[in-house]
Amino acid sequence: MTCVRSVTQWYRDPISCLQSTLATLLLEAGHDPLEVLGLSWEFRYHPGDVRPEEYYWPCRRPGDLAGSLLPLHDVTSRWRAIDRADPLGEWRDALAGGRLPVVAVDNYHLPFRPAYHDVHAAHLLVVYDVDETAGTVSVSDAMPPDFAGPLPAEVLLRSCAAAGVDDEQDVFFSGPVTSGGRWLDVRLPATIPALDPGRLGLVLDANAAAFAAPSEQAWTGADGLRRYCAQTDTAATPELLAEAYTFGWGMQAQASLHGELLRALGARWDRPALAEAGRRVEQVAHRWTAVRVTAAHGRDDPAACAGPLRDHLGRLQRAYQEAHTALGRAAADLR
Amino acid sequence: MREQVPIELAAHLNNAGITPASDTGRGRFNVWRNSLPGEELPLGRPFTAGGVRFAFPAAGPGRPDNVRCEGQLVTVPPGRYDWCCLLAAGERRVEDEVALHFADGSVDFEPVRVSDFWAASAVFGEEEAVATSVMHYPQHVQPGVTAHIWCQRVPVTRRAELRRLRLPHNVALHVFAATLCPSREEVNAG
Repeated sequence: MTCVRSVTQWYRDPISCLQSTLATLLLEAGHDPLEVLGLSWEFRYHPGDVRPEEYYWPCRRPGDLAGSLLPLHDVTSRWRAIDRADPLGEWRDALAGGRLPVVAVDNYHLPFRPAYHDVHAAHLLVVYDVDETAGTVSVSDAMPPDFAGPLPAEVLLRSCAAAGVDDEQDVFFSGPVTSGGRWLDVRLPATIPALDPGRLGLVLDANAAAFAAPSEQAWTGADGLRRYCAQTDTAATPELLAEAYTFGWGMQAQASLHGELLRALGARWDRPALAEAGRRVEQVAHRWTAVRVTAAHGRDDPAACAGPLRDHLGRLQRAYQEAHTALGRAAADLR
Repeated sequence: MREQVPIELAAHLNNAGITPASDTGRGRFNVWRNSLPGEELPLGRPFTAGGVRFAFPAAGPGRPDNVRCEGQLVTVPPGRYDWCCLLAAGERRVEDEVALHFADGSVDFEPVRVSDFWAASAVFGEEEAVATSVMHYPQHVQPGVTAHIWCQRVPVTRRAELRRLRLPHNVALHVFAATLCPSREEVNAG
């Protein structure tokens, strides 16, 4: 049964397959990916929760990956186990219902991924067609080298089943704690209210309030950021340093998209303070580069990277503060 | 009229970011051990990008070809300059600072902004100096993933004689070559 013949891809260099797959779903539903993916901005870290997956995100709603990434929209999602008796059936039914399945895969088995037959790494793809007659499943991957097209169903299913393999070549995105044989069933709203200065102002106020609030179990906001940086600095084990690369990708990607959105809206609405705030948020994203890369390269010798890492963690916190100061000015200007 | 002045980086080269297709395994540009394809680069030759002439580094086994920034202090030919131009690339987007040291003892920190080398576009207004058709992985040559080197400018705003510059303590930034552009006053005086 053929359901969708093609999909549109969307990519920015700071994002991961988490954002790129959801962007394709948003485009199919007629929504602007940047306006949706870039609206929320938070700091959130769940101690002990970081899994070696490219698409790791600290979920405020357990098990709801898309809803946790997009808390300001009426989006929900749940992981479903692939039915071994009829592995394509649920995807076929989801497609018939107008939903694009997002499947968790191991890049090692995918001929179009650079890691093919080399490195095990947990990744996400969008399924947009199931052709049971031909025995193929069409998938979309916007991450370079981008790919969209049919795969033999057995290849995709092998890749799905294998997710969760440990591989010392990729300590960031492979490991036994990732679970294979599952797909993400995402429900998007039919309509999303258009962004206007009034609505954006409310969002910025809410983001700011959350950043200022004290954190508890989940390390959130400025307080959570301070605790995260202190932990990464003082207990810089190889595991925590590797985790910084994985965890930081989500924080970096969201900051980058939020910043880009605010800059774009600032230009569109001729609100210079908003554009400047967007640029400050982008600087937070770029500060994450130094933290992530310093930690990743330093994981084999934590003592050697301790000085630069401490410096970058301090600058990261200052960048958040500068961004929130600028966001406060922008929010006031929108009222 | 004073010419553009290349900065000698040979003593600071510390990273293998360029490999031939026959030996991709020794590449170490990023944490994934990707590298740029030497076959598509002007190795060891003069190279012009953004109207600036650079001395592109050579590359080969046991021979580092770029400066992975770890706070290196680089001596420059003394002079008054408007720009320090870099052939550089980031392991992801980089924003940091270069410290400029002047003959009169003053020090200025100026921004350096360089885009990602891996399948990215120029987000800081750089000129694209190099865009390759493939990316080198440790075990293979990957088509469809471009590698980039950017031509970026660092401003020298102080009207004083520049003596040294300190690169940032940021291992995400890689510098392949650098050239100083004389100040307009110096050019006119020449």
